[in-house]
Parts: sequence; structure tokens; C-alpha cells
Amino acid sequence: MAAMLAERAPLPRFFSRGALALVLGLYTIYTLGPFLWLATMSVRTTAEISADHYAWPKVFHWEQFRIAWVDSDFATYFWNSTIVVVGAVAVVTLLGAAAAHALARYRFRGNRLVYGILFSSIIFPPQITLISLYQILVDYNLYNSLLGLTLVYVSLQLPLTIYLLEGFFARIPQDLFDAAKIDGYGDLEIFRRIVLPIGMPAIATTLILNFIQLWNEFLFAVVLITDPDKRTLPVGIRAFMGDHFQDIGMIATGVMISVIPVIIVYVFFSEKLIRGMTAGAIK
Amino acid sequence: MAVVTLDKLSKQYGPTGPVVVDKVDLHIGDGEFMVLLGPSGCGKSTTLRMIAGLEEISSGKLSIGDRVVNQVPAKDRDIAMVFQSYALYPHMSVADNLAFGLRRRNFAAAEIERRVQDAANILGLTPLLTRKPSALSGGQRQRVALGRAMVREPMVFLFDEPLSNLDAALRVNTRSEIIKQHKRLGSTMIYVTHDQVEAMTMGTRICVMNAGRVAQIGAPLDVYWEPADTFVARFLGSPPMNLATAVVASANESSVARSQSLETALTRWSPQLLGKLVDQKVTIGVRAEDLHINKAALGSEPAGHVRGRTIAVEPLGAETLLLVEIEPDVEWTARLPRHVPVAIDETVDLYFPVNAVFVFDATTGRAVIGEKRRDIGQ
Repeated sequence: MAAMLAERAPLPRFFSRGALALVLGLYTIYTLGPFLWLATMSVRTTAEISADHYAWPKVFHWEQFRIAWVDSDFATYFWNSTIVVVGAVAVVTLLGAAAAHALARYRFRGNRLVYGILFSSIIFPPQITLISLYQILVDYNLYNSLLGLTLVYVSLQLPLTIYLLEGFFARIPQDLFDAAKIDGYGDLEIFRRIVLPIGMPAIATTLILNFIQLWNEFLFAVVLITDPDKRTLPVGIRAFMGDHFQDIGMIATGVMISVIPVIIVYVFFSEKLIRGMTAGAIK
Repeated sequence: MAVVTLDKLSKQYGPTGPVVVDKVDLHIGDGEFMVLLGPSGCGKSTTLRMIAGLEEISSGKLSIGDRVVNQVPAKDRDIAMVFQSYALYPHMSVADNLAFGLRRRNFAAAEIERRVQDAANILGLTPLLTRKPSALSGGQRQRVALGRAMVREPMVFLFDEPLSNLDAALRVNTRSEIIKQHKRLGSTMIYVTHDQVEAMTMGTRICVMNAGRVAQIGAPLDVYWEPADTFVARFLGSPPMNLATAVVASANESSVARSQSLETALTRWSPQLLGKLVDQKVTIGVRAEDLHINKAALGSEPAGHVRGRTIAVEPLGAETLLLVEIEPDVEWTARLPRHVPVAIDETVDLYFPVNAVFVFDATTGRAVIGEKRRDIGQ
């Protein structure tokens, strides 16, 4: 049987590999194309873009980045986004991991109830909370503040984070915890020295997902922030779209600026992300 | 001084839940190798986990050394445990796995280094110290787990089926490794297993458990030769002891047990003892190795016999197992020499020395204790 397969393998394998390469190639063009187009637009002026949408830049207007960063307050937007997103992701990751560990490891009354409530909150679209969140933030004087937006982001991403991490943590064998207990470690230390390192692939996964999700988040930011000084990047980019005039070149530049951190985070954590997705990391 | 004493130790899950360990009394002497033996679900692992402090004690008293430790957390009981799954920390190197427990206890770095090196030397782990557990074979992992317990130099070692995940050859190896370490360290060790061979070969004493209770405690051969009840009789020995119901009849001086297919004299029991059992049903037990197809093999020894229909012949090479149905739904197994001159579905007579007969109460299963067997040399 094995010999037969080996004899017959080369031709179908050639085709299946070829087909796979073709699909991946097409998909890469499909996803990378718009990105490259955007990249070319980011170094062209709006006038040039209007003249010919798809043309290769004749002159590379790198000063567009300086204009966006300095003259158009992108530095502020970038800084606001960084504060809100890094803060929210940090809190979500720590709180989420701790909660997931507790739900996965400790038997206590209401464990599954809490888990069920968290899980059910994933099902509903977050937009339905928009109006009530707005009112709550107003009541607590958190409306139009970066802290308020950060808290909202934490609450938005926490359930899914806990859900993903709980699934991963629950598969860490109980014996490891027992062994650590006998080795003399307390609950918090076991969390820090056993759960966090072993769960790192899963934690990195949620970290990237949360970062990208929140970095691009627009709806809550545009509703909950009115002050131009407190705009995050997606809202800031939106400001270039006037009612009568759209500064496409500047929008493209802004988007390029906003994409850079996502790429950095992804490159930094992607190895762990892949390990987390392929799971089986324990053993 | 590491005497471990279990005084009516019980475990019940919830106030109305099942009682998985039921008033276990056990005294384990200093330096003893005590094996907790029983089928899965008999409560042996739960008992061990209560000793370890990983499971709360529902009632009863547990002492290690001179101290009652019911309320003492696992880390302060001065014990080390080896798990069936090895439970090595996957993100740490072998050296870090070994040192993890010592670091927590604030040993000096030099002392940790010395202990880790010693343990690695003894267990042949030195070339593996920088590896992660995932790069080790099963046997190597189990040796690391053993080393992690050894470096702690605890009062008591606990083993929870440590060999179950190893293949047969490694199991024998690791078994002798553990025995060797027990001799070297002289520490008290408590070892849980469902494998009777491990129990027989490793234990100073074994404690057979059944359904949460202690069925019998004793030296391995004592338990083998004087099982306290039919459960122990069948659990120790492979194939298990053959059992059949018979009626005691008084025949002149000595008593006889008889059924349709079986007849044997009962010579190891006094007439007074058997007097109460006359005309009563009892359970007769004979071990597979005591059955012979050739009466001449017993020489002048008085013999009992059993008649049945052969249902299977299983040649194992060194020996042959003969399965005989002596009554509907009662099968006996004989462990015979290589060549067995019988065909399937044939009526055969099997003979056994009357000295090798066991008698159990037919209703409770408790052994009726007689004189010791003459042929076991004790």
C-alpha cells in the first residue's frame, strides 16, 4: 500500500502543490493589491491621484508623511491610539488570563454561570451596547476621555479573550499544578510561573487579535470621543473626509501611518501566534 | 522519622456524594515501601492524593512523622510526588525542572547545583540537563520526574502509577531503578499501582484496596498465599484464582468439600472449625498453577480433583493455559506445562494438592483461615 502510494505520488503531488501555489498567489495579489495601491497613493498628492487613480508615483512625496504627522495632528492621534490600545490590551491580557485561569482551574459555585454569561456576551453584536455605554460614560464623567474609551475597549474585548484563553488553559494538565503545589508554589506564583509561560502562544494570539481589533476600532471611538485632541487614528483619518472635499492623498498617508504598528506587533508575536493556532503546544 | 499513619481516613465528595475512601487505617513504617494496590476506582489514588495534600480529607486523621498534617498544605508536608503523566514543566529545561522546587525553598545556588548534579549523575540525566521535556523519551521523562522528587530529599516519596505510561521493557528498567533508589535513600515510599507484578516485586508490604476500603495489608507473599477474601485472591495472581461453590461434608476424621464437578479433602482446617460449616456452602479456591492434568505429577500428595469440559487451549510458549468449564458459567484456568494433550470440548479431570485449597465464606467472601500451606516454605 505504502509502496503503491509512493510510486503514484509525484504527479498528483506536483499538481496539488501547483494548485496550492496558484491559490495562495491569487489570494496574495487579492489582499496585497489594495495595500500596494494605498501605499503608492500615500506618496502622491490628491491632485495627482485625481488625474490618474492607478498611476505609479512620478515623484515620491515623502513630505506627505511629515505633513500628516506634524501639520495634521497625526502625531496626536497616533499617541492617543497608542495610549488607549496599549492600555486596553495590557489590561485585557492580564485580567483575561487571570480570569481564564480561574475559570479553567478552580471549582467554585457559579463557575459555569460566569462562563456562560461571558460566552453569551460574545454572541451579541457590540453595537447594541453603544447607547447605554454612552449614557454610562456621561454619568461617570468618562465621556470624551481616553480613560473612558480604554475602559470600553477592555469590556469589549474581555469576553472573547477569556473564552479563548479558558479553552487553552483548561487543557494544561492538572498534574502540573499539583506538582508545582508540592514543589512549594502558591496560587499566584503558579499562575505566573506555570500558566503564563505555558499559555504564551494563546496569550500572544489574543494579544494580536485584540491589538488589531482595537487599533482599527472606529464606531465606539467616533461616538465616545468628540474633542479633536482626543481622537484616535481611525477617527482622525475620518476627519480628512469632508462633505465636499476628500483629501485622498492625506487619508492614504494616514492609513499607512496607522498600519505600521499593526505590522510591528504582528511580526513580533506572529511566531507565537502560529504556535497558538496550531495548539498542541502542551506536552 | 517518617512514619505515615492513616487513622480512619475518609474522602467523600460533597455531603451526600459518593464515599471514595472509607475509613482507611494504615500504618507505614519508617523506610518502608508501601504499595497501594487495587483496580481503578478503588480509592488508592485518592488516598495518595490526601496524603500529598492535593485532596482535602473529609474525616479521619493523617500524620506524617509526629505531626498531624490534615490542615498542613501540600508544600509544607515535606513530601515529593511522582506522577503518572510525569508532570514535567514543559517550558523549563531538565535542570530547571529539577531545581524548581529547591529554588522556592531558598536553598543556596551552590547547594541546588550540587543536588541537581548528584541526582542527574545517579539517574544518568547529566547529558540531558539542558534539554526541554519535549525532547526526551518517556523513560527519560520519568527519570527526570524521579530526580525532581529526589533532589528535594523529602521525608516521604509518593508515586502515583509512575510506570503506567511506559512500555513493558522500560517499565522493568524503571521499576528496578526505583527499588535501587529506595535501598539507597532508605526513605519512606508510598506507591500506587493497579499492576500486581509491580506490587509483588517492589513492596515491603502491600495494601490491597477495594471499593474505598482496605481489603488486606501484608507482605506481598503473605497476601498472595493467605488472601483475606475472594477479591484479594482473584486480584493477586495471573490468571486469577479459580473459585467454585461447594458443600462441606464430614467424612470420618477429615472434612470434604464437594460439588457436582469438584471434590477435595479439607486438611488445613481443624474439625472444630469445619464443624460449623458442615452441610453449608463454601467457596473453594485453587490457584491456576496448582492444577495438574496428570495426577502422577502430585506423587503421593493427597489430591482433590475437578472435572470439566475444555473450552480453550492457550499456548504461551513457556506454558499453556487450559480453560475448562466446570459448571455452567464457571470457568477454571489451569497453568500447565508446554504440551497439553487435550482437544477442545473434551471432558478432562484436573488434580490439585489438597494442601493448595483455599476456603472462603460463600456469602461474605472472607477467607476461612486454616493452617499455613506446607509447601511454601515459610
